[in-house]
Amino acid sequence: MNCEWVKENIPSYLYDELGDDARHELEQHLARCAGCAAEAEAVRELKQAASALPRVEPAPNLLTASRMRLQESLETVKQNSGWQRWVFDPGAWLQQVRFSPALAAAILMAGFTGGALTAYRLAPRAEGNAVATSESSIAGIRGISQEPGSNNVQVRYDRLVPESVQGSMDDPRIQQLLLYAARSNENSGLRMDSINLLTRRHDDTRVREALMYALRYDRNPGVRLKALDGLADYVSEDVRVRNAVLEALMQDSNPGVRIEAIRLLESVKPDWSVRSAFRQLAEQDQNDFIRREARRVLATLPELD
Amino acid sequence: MPAEAVALPLAVGDLRYRDSAQSGLGFTGGSQVLPLERGRMVSQTLSRADDTLLIREAQRGNRAAFEELVRQYDQPVLRLALNLTRSEQDAQDIFQEAFLKAYRNLGSFRFECSFYTWVYRIVTNLCLDHLRKKQVRKEEAPVAVDKQGVEYDLLDQQADDRAGSNPERDLMRRELGHRIGRALERLTPRERMVFELKHYQGLKLRTIGEMLNTTEDTAKNTLFRATQKLRATLSEMR
Repeated sequence: MNCEWVKENIPSYLYDELGDDARHELEQHLARCAGCAAEAEAVRELKQAASALPRVEPAPNLLTASRMRLQESLETVKQNSGWQRWVFDPGAWLQQVRFSPALAAAILMAGFTGGALTAYRLAPRAEGNAVATSESSIAGIRGISQEPGSNNVQVRYDRLVPESVQGSMDDPRIQQLLLYAARSNENSGLRMDSINLLTRRHDDTRVREALMYALRYDRNPGVRLKALDGLADYVSEDVRVRNAVLEALMQDSNPGVRIEAIRLLESVKPDWSVRSAFRQLAEQDQNDFIRREARRVLATLPELD
Repeated sequence: MPAEAVALPLAVGDLRYRDSAQSGLGFTGGSQVLPLERGRMVSQTLSRADDTLLIREAQRGNRAAFEELVRQYDQPVLRLALNLTRSEQDAQDIFQEAFLKAYRNLGSFRFECSFYTWVYRIVTNLCLDHLRKKQVRKEEAPVAVDKQGVEYDLLDQQADDRAGSNPERDLMRRELGHRIGRALERLTPRERMVFELKHYQGLKLRTIGEMLNTTEDTAKNTLFRATQKLRATLSEMR
């Protein structure tokens, strides 16, 4: 533990955010290092001084007025769910099951009974009755039992039943599945494909949401780039899209995504938040190219009053 | 993530807000609230289940359920906006925009984080936008003294209400408060936000990171930078 580490961790220490070990070591260090002890004292003083800034409590009238104004607006505002509310959402359904023990138990029992009814009997006499399923479609073996004194064995198992749906991009079921795939699939290739298809319908707010979600949270930079592509036409008219792209510009871990975000935001560079983001990048971004690009964009910016 | 795991940040965060409301000055050291914490935490955790039902209902378009949810969060949201913007009008605008945004996008809330964090993510984003715009305006128009004066009236009023028996000490404290206010304005919007959430709202750095879509470590570094800058600015003012 050196003085630099200690100094950087003094605020965390004073705000009670250090782990037990680190706190102990830091306290030991403070006891024998006058420089760091003085630093700690100075930060403690700042902490005390900061409490001299009076906190403003919202006046009851302000709160009531705010609530009323919100209530009024809620009368006319619609949720962005549209058709999605009426179609089956597996994620939401699972959530619901998770919080409804009775329903979960009922489903479990139904599954169990169903499994027992469809249990396959393997009998040496019935040679014509071949195993109707391949190994890959068996989801799991539930139980094996042998009838006493006979050669008969009963194996209970679950089968995976793959299904497919065909339809046009206008079909809500197809849209629903694509949206689901864009958010939740483990396979990034599939996420990419669904994003790719969805970008053709980006005039739908639901799709735009999925694209913004992918841009913000997808682990795969390729998918994020694809999502950026799909959002390009909406940067100027939809503030939410602009904010998502701004976030990508400032925070994305992938320089390629950030450079693409610069390209998109160039069209709306007179916007305050875009402008200040570019300024910040031009001054202090760690990436040389991005710093240069930000300066280039700022240089072409028309003067505003 | 199991429900219990997301319950904790909500419990701690919300609880601190209530404490800061009671103590007036807003700052509560971590250890001061301990004796009451456990009981409240349990009730907060229990209310999580209600929250989930309310959110589900609101997601199905039930506006009453949404309004019920709003009631649970609107006061701390307004307090945060008010203390960051120091303007009732701006705070009200942020409040309005934040909850409308939450309502419109409720369908995309997937229970990946607590609802509290989700709402706060929206609010802190709007506040950051506001602070950024304010900063740019100030850079471009240095004659903003008037506006600043108006904003601090709000602060004076607050201090007047609490004037105690020692006028001299009150005056000094008020001056110090003004200096702190000005020093806070010199921070970047993100530093200002982290300092607000940590020092005045008493949130954990981990929660702050989650709200600002970043890591606990980044939040910690930002807090460090904020304290360094504040110290430097305050010593300049002396």
